[in-house]
Amino acid sequence: MISLKNVTFKWHKNDKKPTLRIAELAVEKGERIFLYGPSGSGKSTLLALLTGINTATSGDVYILNQCLNTQSNTKRDAFRADHIGTIFQNFNLLPYLTPIENVILGCQFSKVRQSQALKHATTLHKEAERLLNALGLIEQYHHKNVAQLSIGQQQRVAAARAFIGNPELIIADEPTSALDANNRESFITLLFEQALHLNSTLIFVSHDESLKPLFDRSIDLTHLQEQI
Amino acid sequence: MILAKLAYKSLLNRRASVFLTLFTIAISVMLLLSIERVRVDAKSSFSNTISGTDLIVGARTGDIQLLLASVFRIGHTNNGVSWQSYEYITNQRGVKWSIPISLGDSHKGQAVLGTTLDYFEHYRFAKKQNLSFNQGHPFLNINEVVLGSSVANKLGYKLGDHIVISHGMGNTSFHHHDDNPFKVVGILNPTGTPVDKTLHIPLAAIDLIHARASTKNDEHDEHDEHDEHDEHDEHDDLIGHPKQITAFLMGFKSPLYTLQIRRNINQYKQEALLGIMPTVTLKELWQMLAIVEKTLQLFSAIVVLVSLLGMLTTLLANLSQRRRELAILRSVGARPWQLFTLISIESLLTTLLGCLVGCALFYLVMYLGAGYLQSHAGISVNIAMLSYYELTLIGVIMVAGFIIGLVPATRAYFYSLSDGMSIKT
Repeated sequence: MISLKNVTFKWHKNDKKPTLRIAELAVEKGERIFLYGPSGSGKSTLLALLTGINTATSGDVYILNQCLNTQSNTKRDAFRADHIGTIFQNFNLLPYLTPIENVILGCQFSKVRQSQALKHATTLHKEAERLLNALGLIEQYHHKNVAQLSIGQQQRVAAARAFIGNPELIIADEPTSALDANNRESFITLLFEQALHLNSTLIFVSHDESLKPLFDRSIDLTHLQEQI
Repeated sequence: MILAKLAYKSLLNRRASVFLTLFTIAISVMLLLSIERVRVDAKSSFSNTISGTDLIVGARTGDIQLLLASVFRIGHTNNGVSWQSYEYITNQRGVKWSIPISLGDSHKGQAVLGTTLDYFEHYRFAKKQNLSFNQGHPFLNINEVVLGSSVANKLGYKLGDHIVISHGMGNTSFHHHDDNPFKVVGILNPTGTPVDKTLHIPLAAIDLIHARASTKNDEHDEHDEHDEHDEHDEHDDLIGHPKQITAFLMGFKSPLYTLQIRRNINQYKQEALLGIMPTVTLKELWQMLAIVEKTLQLFSAIVVLVSLLGMLTTLLANLSQRRRELAILRSVGARPWQLFTLISIESLLTTLLGCLVGCALFYLVMYLGAGYLQSHAGISVNIAMLSYYELTLIGVIMVAGFIIGLVPATRAYFYSLSDGMSIKT
């Protein structure tokens, strides 16, 4: 699923020390990984490599058996849109679209995800509704203004957007930092349900180690970097 | 498709600033179209005023002054042409027809023109069109009058009405108990020229009015008798014995005569005369007005430019606010070129709507202003479909709007490359 070998990353060619050094990282399909580390430990950098926003300075990054560092920008864009769903820390919903429209947006720039979504339901609209319901956003909120939703509700919309079209890899970047402990756990449970249902791999990034026991496996980024 | 939908929703979300941009564009389109329409129509009403006349002859003055006085009824000629000279010149070889005209009197602010029946036969306007009668027929007696269409409309005269025509250019009639008023026997069809605002009476009647005026003022019995005597004689003679006329129009059998006779007229020894070719003088006059025309065009171009720059400013200002929105779109899979397209569609949509609203405003203004322009400036504005030229203007604005939209679109393209998916709140 994911395989990194001897990867280094420097922001600038002249930087003496690389920002990130990973000797080896492998994730199997369907795994639920907890990736943690204090701020500055390179979490964002690693995510940027996994999603193909940046390419490794040296070493190989394979995702779904495709080598990201040799692909062109356009191809990486397409790859990301087709195979990776992301839940952002601040959700990144478009304020002028309804929750349903925001969810559908997740598969509107990818033919692959669109056809996947249509395997589950007759229309994209129905699939979005199904996902929102499954993630616990009741129907009366589906057509409201996104800005009127609570943080917790917005988060469900963001999660539904990541899941629509069944991408193989779901990356959640500190999605629970704005929630209290109870909501955090219930949200993660919902994420797991969906990931299991769709057989997606989940990488959950957080600095909050208390969530660690919920996951199959956890990776300490500080530790990972020191292995070299 | 999704991009068009997003563009639409995003525009709707920023409707206040979008509306302002749209409105500036609409106003500028409206201004540009109105100015152009009035300009083109003014030019055509202007050059349509007279046609088919080879030469206009009057007392020596400026070319343009003579044209203005004889055709547009603007200003006066200081002198007239003596009847002897008129007869001498029109009896030359090659003269096909001639129309003597006598101006200087008015009826309720409308010009009164004394002429002969040749006027109705030979006078041409626009594309060599004849004067035609809406009702009635040319004058046959000395106390009959033929009205231009707007005189009849404005003053509410019908066939068979009796009206009083006074001496002088004043708005008021000096003779309240005139015993011999004029009878309306004909009303002309609209021409869009000063003919519409003219009352046509026989040449002989002009002398009659003048004689009566001097009688009343002089209070000489002798004169009175003399005049009454004249009147009886002239009743069936529409020309009478005029001493002077204001000017006369001529048509020739061949253009060669035009130049020859014009030279003769300009060198005529007995009297200082001037012969002008109306088409040439019309062009000269229009060229004098060209500076006004150019200024108008310049202004409308500047208005369009300013509104487009305004749109650019708004788009660029919005863009930095929308950096986050663009990054979000990027994060859900939109490619940089798609964001480029999105911004382009938005500016195109704004310009398109601006142009449509502008056209609507333009028709509104034309509809409201046509009457005023017709009555105050004599420009008959055509509330027709947009001409090919006007569509081209709109096309140019659309293209300019699109090109201007490319500036923020290009910035959006590079934003999205450099921002990637990392979004700062």
